[in-house]
Amino acid sequence: MPYNVMIVDDSPSMRTFVRRVIDLSGFEVSSCLDAANGVEALELLGEHAIDIILTDINMPRMNGEEFVRKLEEHEKFRLIPVVVVSTDSTHNRIRRMLELGARGYVVKPFSPEMLRNELERVLGAVNA
Amino acid sequence: MPEISEILSTATSDVLETMFFTPVIAEAEAVGASPVAVLAARLSFSGAKQGTLAIRISAQAAGTIAASFLGEEAGEPPPEKIRDVICELANMICGSVLSRLDSEAHFHLGHPELVDPLELQSVEGTSRSFDIGDGEVAVLLHVDART
Repeated sequence: MPYNVMIVDDSPSMRTFVRRVIDLSGFEVSSCLDAANGVEALELLGEHAIDIILTDINMPRMNGEEFVRKLEEHEKFRLIPVVVVSTDSTHNRIRRMLELGARGYVVKPFSPEMLRNELERVLGAVNA
Repeated sequence: MPEISEILSTATSDVLETMFFTPVIAEAEAVGASPVAVLAARLSFSGAKQGTLAIRISAQAAGTIAASFLGEEAGEPPPEKIRDVICELANMICGSVLSRLDSEAHFHLGHPELVDPLELQSVEGTSRSFDIGDGEVAVLLHVDART
């Protein structure tokens, strides 16, 4: 089943890379939207149906923590699973993002297989 | 606990190979300023330790790494994309190094910025240079001694 994916990252190159790695992994994508921060992402979520969100943490305007918190406060958006994609692999940070509402966490550097496994794990848990 | 230079080496090789599909051919201690270095990026970090991590990279290596990262097979990406990729490379190496230094600590990473490569000449700290075949990537880590 192909999924509608949203990639949120302030680096255009990183957004391109994540999309590329998703394709390389064999994860089926129906549509892929991207946003440079949480503000842009929330605007797009009001207009498009999204199955899963991949977000960075360090972003201007609205960072990943605030973005996940806003999603959790929203009646509809809180149902969309979020996977954090970050260079920060400290236990405190991972614990904090999961406590805020993220369902998955992928640490850079990651391989296509690692990303796919996490996306499938999260979607599998949501759809179980 | 491994030496900082060993952490720098492992983290950089891992990032280059996994995220940039660029294997490291050889490495050595980085000494002085490379005459072919044309791009440099630096970011600061704070938390359990504070300091800066910087990379300097030759033009050819920057083009190769950016093309590989973005999957552009038709040639070298435009300069603005190369600059963005180099900043992302610095960001990823810094995150990887810090989590290897102390995975239980909390760190805040600043925003990577391009800097004049000559600014890095006076930076004290641990440095390693990586030969990727199409040029050289040097990584310099400065940790504030008070942290």
